[in-house]
Amino acid sequence: MSEYILEIKNVTKMFHGLVAINDLSMKVKKGQIYGIIGPNGAGKTTLFNCITGIYTPEMGQILWKGKEIKGTTPYKIAELGILRTFQTIRLFAEMSVAENIMSGRHIKSKQKWYNGVIPTPAYFKDEKEQWMKVGELMEFFNLSQYATTPAGDLSYGVQRRIEMARALAAEPELLILDEPAAGLNEHETQELTDTIRKIQAMGVTIMMIEHDMEMVMSLSEYITVINFGAKISEGLPSFVQDDPVVVEAYIGSDEEDEHE
Amino acid sequence: MMNKTSMIALVLLLISGVYPFFVDSAWLAIGTTFLVFSCVAFSQDIILGRAGVFHMGHAMFFGLGAYTTAIMNVQFGLPILASWAPAVLIPMFVAFVLAGPIIHLRGDYLLVATIGFNIIFIQVLENDVFGLTGGPNGIFGIDVVRLFGFEFASQTYMYYMAFILLGITLFIMRTLDRSKFGRAMFYINKDEIAAQSMGVSVRYYKLYAFIIGAGIAGAAGSMFSVQYSAVSPEAFDVTQSIMFFTIVLVGGSASLPGVLIGTFIMFVLPEVFREFETARYLVFGLAMILTMILRPRGIWPVRFGNIPNFLKKDVK
Ligand SMILES: Nc1ncnc2c1ncn2[C@@H]1O[C@H](COP(=O)(O)OP(=O)(O)O)[C@@H](O)[C@H]1O
Ligand SMILES: [Mg+2]
Repeated sequence: MSEYILEIKNVTKMFHGLVAINDLSMKVKKGQIYGIIGPNGAGKTTLFNCITGIYTPEMGQILWKGKEIKGTTPYKIAELGILRTFQTIRLFAEMSVAENIMSGRHIKSKQKWYNGVIPTPAYFKDEKEQWMKVGELMEFFNLSQYATTPAGDLSYGVQRRIEMARALAAEPELLILDEPAAGLNEHETQELTDTIRKIQAMGVTIMMIEHDMEMVMSLSEYITVINFGAKISEGLPSFVQDDPVVVEAYIGSDEEDEHE
Repeated sequence: MMNKTSMIALVLLLISGVYPFFVDSAWLAIGTTFLVFSCVAFSQDIILGRAGVFHMGHAMFFGLGAYTTAIMNVQFGLPILASWAPAVLIPMFVAFVLAGPIIHLRGDYLLVATIGFNIIFIQVLENDVFGLTGGPNGIFGIDVVRLFGFEFASQTYMYYMAFILLGITLFIMRTLDRSKFGRAMFYINKDEIAAQSMGVSVRYYKLYAFIIGAGIAGAAGSMFSVQYSAVSPEAFDVTQSIMFFTIVLVGGSASLPGVLIGTFIMFVLPEVFREFETARYLVFGLAMILTMILRPRGIWPVRFGNIPNFLKKDVK
């Protein structure tokens, strides 16, 4: 097996003739923090949706530990150990924080098909184990005080933490974060940076889309820059940062914004 | 330690436990039917309130259970007891077969498809397709439950059998809500994409809801056919399905007290106001409209956050 846990090879994804991702390739090493940056509308989220099975690319390959996973349904992707958060937070808003995080334990729970109607000793044991794990995660993410609060009632920063806790509860091998710092204040961003480092230390590979340059440059070991669906640059943060093509792309997008 | 909800539950349990000793036979029958309908409403709530599937053909599963018992007993001379397992398993199997091809449909499309199934079911019953269903008049002369030479014939026995059935149903609801299965249904209901991204198979858990719901409805149907010793198509038509659907929404989706309140309002209250004849349905329709406007999540909405106590220690 190659040293890459995830390989994206010449992936193209179109929406009604519009090319959202154009012949994109990248390789993610196990244990790495991999950054993806690019102006709004570049196709970053679409790439994540292709990896997690929400979209199926028209062309190219997505290899997970050497095996093609393109077109695999999202729930099976999660079972493989690829978990994600969403750019636009998608929590189960009316459900409590603990119940939200418990969804991450779904694939780890060993309850049998009949345990939905008939409790058995093994079921009680399993149920207890999963809730204990939820408790650990609430402590790790400093959420214990909100255990019974509906997730939708909490502030944006707290909701982002719940989403990460939920994904981490599934004990992922690859954690995919779509703009985890969006909407966070400086203090929260700092906390998030520390948390991401801790998650990496647990042995989790992380892919991250982020607009906060300071954060993405300090965390990422490798970065791919996307514009109009295609890769325009890649390399170490220090290289990408000063790459004239990248600087150009961001300035270009700023100008566009002004015309809006 | 006892909270308000368990107090209310205990009082209700006591009242319903001694109810048969304080009422006449008409009210005893109403009480029994209330218990049976509550079971059906709970089973509808598994599909609608938990999995979030807009299923408006539930009377069909109720009817399948009722007709299974009626046919086995009257047409084949088998004892009622022998029909219990088939009355649960046949609706479950039918749910599996019928729901399979429509389960991926969007809410409104699925709703129409389930109504379609219910209409076809009634047509089959009325046309006496296999010469078993007795056509529009249905089947009469269904026996009572017999065990070791003893007959459970009186209305009081009927009441307590329905009471036990509701107990079993509530036990199942509680187990479901505290298992990965019930939670998976809620996750799908609240956000399908997020649920899938956490590894929840939308298809599996929606089908699971359908099959369990159909089984409980079938058991209730079997009970219903014995209580009235007859079955006929109109008790299981789309209008009945609409009633079960409405009970859940008016009472409160996924809320155990809500569904009981819903069944009470939609079934028992009309009986109380019997002398007002059709005017009572006016009140009824108004109640439905007002509930949806004023309490869109139902009269007694579901409360989430049923988590083990050891997780609540830091909650302020
Ligand atoms: N479901 C969809 N249908 C049609 N177009 C889409 C869809 N999802 C994304 N797009 C388009 O694809 C392009 C890339 O979007 P996205 O991946 O969200 O960009 P980014 O995350 O980099 O800001 C945009 O032009 C967007 O409008
Ligand atoms: Mg995006």
